Amino acid sequence: MTPIISTKNLCKYYGEEDNITKAVDNVSVKIDKGEFVAIIGPSGSGKSTLMHMIGCLDKPTSGQYFLENKQLVQFSENELAKIRNEQIGFVFQSFNLLPRTSAQKNVELPLVYAKVGAGERQERAQNLLAKLGLKDKFLSTPAKLSGGQQQRVAIARALVNNPLILLADEPTGNLDTKASYEIMDILKNLNKEGITVIMITHEADIAKQAKRIISMRDGKIVSDKKILKNKKNANYGNI
Amino acid sequence: MQITEIFKLALEAIRVNKLRSMLTSLGIIIGVAAIILLVSIGSGLQNYVTDEFKKLGANSIFILPGKVEISAAGTSAQSVNKLTFALMNKLEQSKSPNIEKVLPFIEIFVTASNRNNSKVTRLVATYNDYFLISDIKTAEGRIYTQSEEKSSKKVAVIGKSVAKDLYKNQSPIGKQISLSKKPFTVIGVFEPQGSVAGVDIDNAVIIPLSAGRNLTGTDLVNQVLVRTTSTENIQEAKKDIEKILLRTLSEDDFTIMTQEQLLSSILQILGVLTLALGGIAAISLVVGGVGISNIMLVSVTERTREIGLRKAVGARPSDILTQFLIEAVILSLVGGTIGLLIGATGSVLISAYIKSSVPLWAIFLGVGFSSLVGIIFGVAPAIRASRLDPIVALRYE
Repeated sequence: MTPIISTKNLCKYYGEEDNITKAVDNVSVKIDKGEFVAIIGPSGSGKSTLMHMIGCLDKPTSGQYFLENKQLVQFSENELAKIRNEQIGFVFQSFNLLPRTSAQKNVELPLVYAKVGAGERQERAQNLLAKLGLKDKFLSTPAKLSGGQQQRVAIARALVNNPLILLADEPTGNLDTKASYEIMDILKNLNKEGITVIMITHEADIAKQAKRIISMRDGKIVSDKKILKNKKNANYGNI
Repeated sequence: MQITEIFKLALEAIRVNKLRSMLTSLGIIIGVAAIILLVSIGSGLQNYVTDEFKKLGANSIFILPGKVEISAAGTSAQSVNKLTFALMNKLEQSKSPNIEKVLPFIEIFVTASNRNNSKVTRLVATYNDYFLISDIKTAEGRIYTQSEEKSSKKVAVIGKSVAKDLYKNQSPIGKQISLSKKPFTVIGVFEPQGSVAGVDIDNAVIIPLSAGRNLTGTDLVNQVLVRTTSTENIQEAKKDIEKILLRTLSEDDFTIMTQEQLLSSILQILGVLTLALGGIAAISLVVGGVGISNIMLVSVTERTREIGLRKAVGARPSDILTQFLIEAVILSLVGGTIGLLIGATGSVLISAYIKSSVPLWAIFLGVGFSSLVGIIFGVAPAIRASRLDPIVALRYE
């Protein structure tokens, strides 16, 4: 199987010669289609920077990055924007929904930049929101939604343009335990449907729900383990 | 991203911040309203002057004392007046086939009074043909006759403002008016002519030229209007006049201008004046533009996270740039349109007192200039927004 994501000696350095910070240092990793990867590590370990480079939000200082066998080093701003729009869905810790904008309009946002017509946008956004249990919240603004509901809107937004990869940066960081588990159930179900999920977290019990855990420290990968689950624990529940 | 989506976005952002948007536009509103108002006054003045000159007819030649040069840079005149009545007689008796009528004017300011009421007024002394040529009719009474002219009768045709101030509600016909303390009899009141650029045309007294000469004791006229027999021979008439005047005067002692020349010179000056007034008002537009720039920068800072998110979901730098630029242009265009309406309304309201008209070019200028201001002052904040690093923007608190 060819990996969907493959990095070779990927580096991201900040600062000048004497005072250099190696946020990501020589990371080579392969992630296959359909994987559910949790990246863990203390703050400053480089996990966010790695995810930003995988998500085409940031450019590496050196090294190679292949997304679906295409090398993405020399890409222009506009080409990166297109990749973010079409192939990658982001979920953030603080949801990052537009305030004073309805749930539906928030979900439609990536489609606006994909130049999808208004009718189709509405249909796709409403279908996804309904699937994630927000059927009666289409017109609610984020302020009227609970944290768990806001994160579900954000997940719908990440999925609306049918991305290859879902990148979640501490998706449960701002949620209580119950809402956290609900969100994790959603991510696991999406993964079962075939979407590749890469998630950053520092909570051990959240990381354990992934299929593979990569731990980082000082910009390097210190361990990379597949998790073997027995069938009982693999009950993800229903959404 | 489609342009309609961008417009919707911009309008939404403006709607959400109603008060702020309105205050921001206020600078543009005031600027455009001021331009429209001032230009309308200037162009109203131009229209009035044109009308007045047209009334005199194209077969009019003006003789002015001294060397007068009217240009956009201003009027320069050597003030020694050598246009005497003796010269006027020579012109009148020249028997030039091109000259139909010579109309000398004495024009000074005098104190007109009746009993306890008095008023400083413009005194015009000339032949009665002036009423016919300038199309000034009497509202009451009559104008003076040729025999009254010949006998230097002390009679006067007065304007409405003089009649009102000196005789209150009574009819002034047959009453006495003293001009520079000399008694005259009011025989007519001419129809109201209104005011031009704040000058009351109806504050005037018109008397026979001979009576004016006696009253002032001067041997000089202020200006002369010559009517030619037709519009074709106007250049010949000009040469005839020149020939006669040059017998006794030097070239620097007088200026001869045709109606067309004088009109275009005056219009040129008024045009420059109008532009200067509009230009001063345009400065306030620039100030309004700085306001827009300022508020757009605040807006970009406030919406840093939004910009980061938009980039994360696929907005290109140019999408962000257009979004903020359109917002600035809408702000200034809406302000420009409101300012235009206020200026035009103001122009209609004041037209009762000061002649004014809004020319079409001022409308285009006002709206065009305000959208240009929006673009120029919106560019810097929009570029700033488009260059934001998505990661930094997403982390922004």
